[in-house]
Amino acid sequence: MSITGVKTDRPGQAVLLTGNEAVARGALEAGVGFASSYPGSPTAEVLSILGRLAAEFNLYAEWSINEIVALEGAAAASFAGVRALCVMKPDGLNVAIDFLTTLAMSGTKSGLVIFVGDDPNAHSSIKEEDSRYLAKLAHVPVLEPATVAEAKEMVKVAFELSETLRYPVIVRGVTRICHASGNVVLGALPPREKAPCIPPEERFLTNPGAVPAYHQKQEEKLRRAAELELPFNRYEGPAGAEILVIGCGPAFLYAREAVASLGLTDRVGLLKLGLTWPLPEKLVLNRLRSAKKVIFAEETDPILEESVTSLAARHWSAVGEISFFGKNSAHVAGPFGPGAGELNVDIMVKALTAVAGLPVPEPAVSPPQDPPFAPGVPVIDRELAFCAGCPHRASFWAVRAALELDGRNGFVTGDIGCYTLGLGRTGYYLLRTAHCMGASVGVAAGLSKLARLGFGQPVVAVIGDSTFFHAAVPALIDARYNQARFLCVVLDNGTTAMTGHQPHPGMGINAMGEKAPAVAIEEVVAGLGIPCTIQDPYDIRTTVRVVFDLLQQNQLHVLVLRRECALTAARQTKKPRVYVDQERCLGDACGCVRFCSRVFSCPANIWDAAAGKARIDEAVCTGCGVCAANCPQQAIVVEGRE
Amino acid sequence: MFSEQGGPVELKTQVQDRNMCTACGACAGLCPYIYTVREKVAVIYPCGRTAGSCYRVCPRTPTALGELDRRVFGAPRTDHVLGEHSAIYFSRAQDKEINARAQYGGTVTALLAFLLQQGRIDAALLARGNGAAPPEPFVAATREDLLAGAGSKYSACPTLAVLPQAVREGYRRLAVVGRPCQVTALRKMQGLAREGQLPHLPAAGPDIFVIGLFCFWALTPAFYTFLAQKAGSAEIRKVDIPAEGLKLTLAGGQELLFPVDEVRPLIRPACPDCFDPTAELADVSVGSTEYDPAWNTLLVRTPAGKALVEEARAAGVIALKPYPEERLPLLRRAALNKKRRVLSAQKGDGYLHLPDDYRQKLQGGIA
Repeated sequence: MSITGVKTDRPGQAVLLTGNEAVARGALEAGVGFASSYPGSPTAEVLSILGRLAAEFNLYAEWSINEIVALEGAAAASFAGVRALCVMKPDGLNVAIDFLTTLAMSGTKSGLVIFVGDDPNAHSSIKEEDSRYLAKLAHVPVLEPATVAEAKEMVKVAFELSETLRYPVIVRGVTRICHASGNVVLGALPPREKAPCIPPEERFLTNPGAVPAYHQKQEEKLRRAAELELPFNRYEGPAGAEILVIGCGPAFLYAREAVASLGLTDRVGLLKLGLTWPLPEKLVLNRLRSAKKVIFAEETDPILEESVTSLAARHWSAVGEISFFGKNSAHVAGPFGPGAGELNVDIMVKALTAVAGLPVPEPAVSPPQDPPFAPGVPVIDRELAFCAGCPHRASFWAVRAALELDGRNGFVTGDIGCYTLGLGRTGYYLLRTAHCMGASVGVAAGLSKLARLGFGQPVVAVIGDSTFFHAAVPALIDARYNQARFLCVVLDNGTTAMTGHQPHPGMGINAMGEKAPAVAIEEVVAGLGIPCTIQDPYDIRTTVRVVFDLLQQNQLHVLVLRRECALTAARQTKKPRVYVDQERCLGDACGCVRFCSRVFSCPANIWDAAAGKARIDEAVCTGCGVCAANCPQQAIVVEGRE
Repeated sequence: MFSEQGGPVELKTQVQDRNMCTACGACAGLCPYIYTVREKVAVIYPCGRTAGSCYRVCPRTPTALGELDRRVFGAPRTDHVLGEHSAIYFSRAQDKEINARAQYGGTVTALLAFLLQQGRIDAALLARGNGAAPPEPFVAATREDLLAGAGSKYSACPTLAVLPQAVREGYRRLAVVGRPCQVTALRKMQGLAREGQLPHLPAAGPDIFVIGLFCFWALTPAFYTFLAQKAGSAEIRKVDIPAEGLKLTLAGGQELLFPVDEVRPLIRPACPDCFDPTAELADVSVGSTEYDPAWNTLLVRTPAGKALVEEARAAGVIALKPYPEERLPLLRRAALNKKRRVLSAQKGDGYLHLPDDYRQKLQGGIA
């Protein structure tokens, strides 16, 4: 990550930036004065960067409690004449959608751009939601960059467009824009001078008495947007091409590469759309007139495809007979089928081959399998796991133990964060639900209320600290009010670990690196009138007893399992040395069946095949010593613990 | 019902799920997959083994009593009601401090203190509690620790769970105070250890002095909720269950008495299946007298037990007097009745494997 590149004031110079950096740079070039976000992959870095540059660029940046609050703040800035950027992932747009749908009615003033990072294939998400559906729902225009350079330019244009229409505008990136790097030519960094102010006559209302009139105004704004001449919408290829690719984002680049690799550049036209909603209908119609076959290249859902086919249906007499190939025809489909997962060049090659009637090529453009990591050395596919020393591992083990001891078939609801991994082996398969931010608490509350109908299983919700602030509080109020009885376990590792350790309200620091009042989880819980216990999960035996005792109470209770994220801890402190005394370790004679390396499975617990004994990978070990407490032979030694 | 051998699955289905677990703690101390909290024991994660120490040390998996007798006493038992013993006494501690802390005669604490003072043990495994919650097992290595563990606990503290820990921490000569089920489990552990099948306990064997407790049943942890309800906000100083009922002594000296039937529903489900009310496999067994609260009943069983008792008496640590002739039939009747109840309920598919002559003797009129 090059923050230097983002802030370099040398217009015309090309610098290598990631997509997220390019978005931050675009906002700076647009004179952004307010930036807000809740961290979510793949867009988390944008606000991190703007926060670090806040003082230097005289802007305000915050990690908001959640996305709707972030968007409300950004809207406020826009109302007051300050250009505002709000950053989130689609999951966050879901949270913000209620405000966005009304904001689109009231309109905005200064440019308000929402940068949403979709995550096709869900590399680090719970779903691969296509946020463009929400943009349609809210009647908000969507711009989609195909390259990192375009991301920067598009953000600048989006601010202009927002101001022109007095309307929020979404720039939609995907992971392979946000996390990719590319050359970006820097523009000028304008000074920002005007103090925010709302003149007495300005209001930003929705009006229950005049909703259709507001709605009418929105439709009008969308019509204007569709007619704009934008540099991001362009056509390449032969005039009057019979095969036409319509695409956007990186998927367009895959299609272009596929066309080139198949030698189809003379036959296939490529229509790239930067504005994907509303559809620039005139431009598209113009190309449809000559096309006989149209292929769509977009991720993840068939939004362009549906817009274009609908357009063609409305203009069938003008465009004539066209066959459409995409997700609906199942021609553009990866291994999980149409509309599921990311696209790539191979998928587009396959589609183009079929549509153009070419023989099936072999080999595919990309090699059929990844080259080996090192020739002759097999690389084992590693499953997702908690980091070495992660306190979640201890917490999950303790909760699992307590539930088994309890013996009433306890049910554990999960939430969104690193600890979502706890649904798998690394969390001993503990989680039985995993949905959205805060859902653990609401689902747990709902289950426990079924006690009135005879539900007898104890219920445990597992939620992280940042997620607690984001989404747990209303559900906990509900739980108290509606007399739910469950144990809410807050895994408090003191950071927003999953997305890269962004500050949250409990941490005493804000996005701009300033000291901030820390909101203590236990104080929030106490304020709700819910009893709260704090326990260190590294002390597994005590934690098991604490959880067990709380389960016996059958009451609403919040248990904060508090222990600093192992990654943060590893950076800051001199770690104790943990090693296996192989004289003591009994190896396979122990009967523990390699408990430490096979079951507890901290990545630092490894099996020394040569010695036939357990071993600690000291390069990975954080010195937490939790494994030592679990070893039936006490063969794991912790040295130098304070 | 029982398998020849077993692992955690069999332990769970044949013992734990059937509520036959006595919370002795033996399996939990040996195994990282088995935890015990508040006198519950559970397999918390499958280890994948089909045969394991957990199943073999359990006092409620197949238990060959004749073999255990041979292991502990070198011969089949001659007394089928109270188990092998060389003497039976009334006994009491001579130490005033111990008398003040003890449930009855203080014999257990006095013997332990003697062993510790003589340097013959490094530590004792005891249960420690305050009456408000289930007691916790602990390793007592000082006289103060021993006093902290004094007094009867009427629930099933899994003391054996700390045995491997104590051994690993370097306590090589130990005393274990346990209920009959725990003594059985300990003898099974020692048997495996001697055969080299329990590598966690290299020293478990001759270096453990075993004091067994008379036990006709133990209560579930719900007993502590029950006590709290009975005592209200008052602190409970002492819990006793003499013949007349459940007696609570509160801070301030007030005594509350409840019919014993009130606690009967809290008896651990495993206890009615117990064949051994006097800890027959211990070195010595200690119980109440049901007669004089200043004294204990002391059964001297093994040569090691005999030697210790004689030395302790010679050293003025304990006082002994003959067991009253007229009381003996009552004790024998109570023990025999329990054994006969278990035998008639068991129908041959239970955990207990008795040599034929043991069975015949009990079913005949030997009492």
